[in-house]
Amino acid sequence: MKKLLTGTAFVICLASPALAEGSLNIYAWSESIEPQLIEKFAKEYDVDVNVDGYTSNEDLLTKLQAGSSGYDVALPSQHFLRIMIDEGLIQNYGANKLKAYENIQERWRNQWWDETQEYSIPNSYGTAGFVVNTKEYDGPTDSLKYFFEPNDALKGRIALLSYPDEIVSTAQLYLGVPFCTEDATEMKKVLDLLMAQKPAVAAYSSDNIEGRLGSGEVATHFWWDGETVRAIGTGAPLEYAMPKEGLVGWIDSWVIPKGAPNYDNAIKFIEFMSEPENATAEMNYYAHSSPLKVIEADKKYTKENAPALYPTVPVEMARTCSPKAQDLVNKVWTQLLQ
Amino acid sequence: MPAAAVTGSRRRHSLGLAYLGLLPSWLLMSFALLIPILIVAGVSVSTRGAYGGFEWSFDLSGYRQILFNEGWTGEMEFTPQYLIIILRTLILAAVTTLLCMMLALPVAYYIAQQPTHRKALLVYLVTLPFWMSMILRIYAWMIILGRDGPVPRFLEFFGAPSGLSLMYNDGATLAAMVYTYIPLMVLPVFASIEKLDGTLIEAAHDLYGNRWVALRRVILPLTAPGIISGAILVFVPALGAVLEPILMGGGKQMMMGSLIQLQFGVAATGPSGRPSR
Repeated sequence: MKKLLTGTAFVICLASPALAEGSLNIYAWSESIEPQLIEKFAKEYDVDVNVDGYTSNEDLLTKLQAGSSGYDVALPSQHFLRIMIDEGLIQNYGANKLKAYENIQERWRNQWWDETQEYSIPNSYGTAGFVVNTKEYDGPTDSLKYFFEPNDALKGRIALLSYPDEIVSTAQLYLGVPFCTEDATEMKKVLDLLMAQKPAVAAYSSDNIEGRLGSGEVATHFWWDGETVRAIGTGAPLEYAMPKEGLVGWIDSWVIPKGAPNYDNAIKFIEFMSEPENATAEMNYYAHSSPLKVIEADKKYTKENAPALYPTVPVEMARTCSPKAQDLVNKVWTQLLQ
Repeated sequence: MPAAAVTGSRRRHSLGLAYLGLLPSWLLMSFALLIPILIVAGVSVSTRGAYGGFEWSFDLSGYRQILFNEGWTGEMEFTPQYLIIILRTLILAAVTTLLCMMLALPVAYYIAQQPTHRKALLVYLVTLPFWMSMILRIYAWMIILGRDGPVPRFLEFFGAPSGLSLMYNDGATLAAMVYTYIPLMVLPVFASIEKLDGTLIEAAHDLYGNRWVALRRVILPLTAPGIISGAILVFVPALGAVLEPILMGGGKQMMMGSLIQLQFGVAATGPSGRPSR
C-alpha cells in the first residue's frame, strides 16, 4: 500500500511539470489580444494557451496580491505596473536584454513606470476622453468646457463612467490641478466642477457605452480612443474630441507575475508579440496604438481613417497616486454620488 | 418498529447517529457561511494596506468612517453620506417589495383559480424569465424604455414630444427591479393561496362579510406565510441590487451594492482602473 502511494506521488510529481511545460496562461484585458495570434503562437511553439480576461486593473492587482495566481503573463497599465514592481508582485525578467526591447519605439522605452525596462514590454497604448454622436451634437468639441460645463444642447445628454479614474484625471486637466494631488482644497474644486455638471448628466455607467452613444440615447460619452475607432468602423456616427486641455493616457505592458509556472513560455510569448508583423496584427485587431515597431504599410488604422489614435493635443499619462491622494479621489466620487 | 425496541441506549445511539448524519450540512454551513462571516468581521477591524489588502492589526477606523470623516478643511466632521446611501437602498428595496406584493397577489390569486392544466402552464410562464440571464433582461428594458423604444413611441403617438427617453431615473430603476423580482413573490404567494380552503371564503360571505372583509379577515391572514416569505425573497436580494440602479437609473446615486464595489475595487486598491476596456 505504502509503495503504491509513494509510487502515485512520484508519478504525479513527474507528470505535473511535464504537463505544464507545454502551456501558457495569459491574463489580459478582455478581448484585447488578437485570437489569431494566440493560435499562431500555440501552433508555432506547440504550447497550450489559456487566455483569461479582466476588465479593470484592480481585478488584476487583487489576483496577484492573493498570490500564486497561476498566470504566466499579465497586462497591467503603467500606474499599476509601478505598484506591482514596488510591491514585489512581478519578476525582473531582464526585459531590456530581450529582442523585444529593440522592437519598442524609442519614445516608449525606460519610462517612469519601469525606468530600467527590466520588468515589462509594452503592448498597446491609448487615451481617454469624450466622444460625441455627430447626429445629436454638432457644436464645438475642442475644449473640455463643452463636456464639464455643457450648454443647453447637451443638457441631460451626457454620460460618464461609473468609476472616478480617468474622469477625475480629466477634470484635473481642465482645472489645471495636478494629478494625484494631496491638497484637499484643490480636490474640492474637482468635486465642485462635477457637482455643477451632475444635473446635466444622464448616466454614470461603464456598461453598454456603444449602445447608449450609438443609439443617440446620449449625445456625448466619456470613452476610450480604440473603442471609438472600432465603433466608427461598424458605422456609428461618432467623433473623438481633441480638447485643447489634453487627454489622459495609458499604456499596457506584458509582465511576468512572481511564481509563474511557465516562465520560458512567457518569455517566448512576449518576444512573439513584439515582432513587427505580430505587433501590427495586434494593433489592427485591438484598434489601440502600438508602442512597438510596426509594419507601416500593413497598418489598418492610419492618421486619415482613425484620427482618434493620433492625438493632436497633449497627452498626460495617468500617475500612480499615493494612498492619501487616492482617498481624496474616492471622497470626491462618494460625495458626488452619495 | 415496535415502540418497545427503542431502549434508552438505543435512543442515545441513534441520537449520535443523527448528529453524524447531519455532519455534511454542518460542515457545509460552517465552511460556506460561518467562516466567511467571521473572516469578514475580522477584516473589518483590521488595518488597511497601502495598495489594497489589509494587515492583521486592530483598527476601528472602518467603523468610525460610517459616521465621521475628514472634511475638506481637514477636521473630523459628521458625514451622513453612508447613512444616506444605506437609507436609500432600504427605501428602494421596500418600495420594490411593496409593488411586487400589490402586483403578485392578484396574479397568484388568478392562477390559483384556474383548472389544473392551465395552472401548470401559468406557473411555467411566471418562471420563464429565469431561463435567461438577468443582464439580458435588463438590457431588454433599456430598449423598451429608451429613445425610440416601444413605450416612448407609444406615448409620442398620444402627443408626447419626439425623441423622448424614459431611461435614467428612479421610475426606470423601479420598473426593472419589480420586473426582475416579481416571480419570487408570485410563486410563494401562489403556493399559499392554492392551499386556501375555498369554503372559508364562502363562510365569510355567509356571515355577511363583504369582499373586502373576506380579503382582510380571511384571505390575507391565511396566506400571510406565503406573502412574508415572498417579501423576504424580494427584499433581501433587492438590497444588493447593483445592475438596475446603474443600468436603468444611470448610477447617479449610489446604492449599498455600488458603494461596496467602489470601496473594494477602486478605493481599496489605490489608483485608477478602466472598468470596461
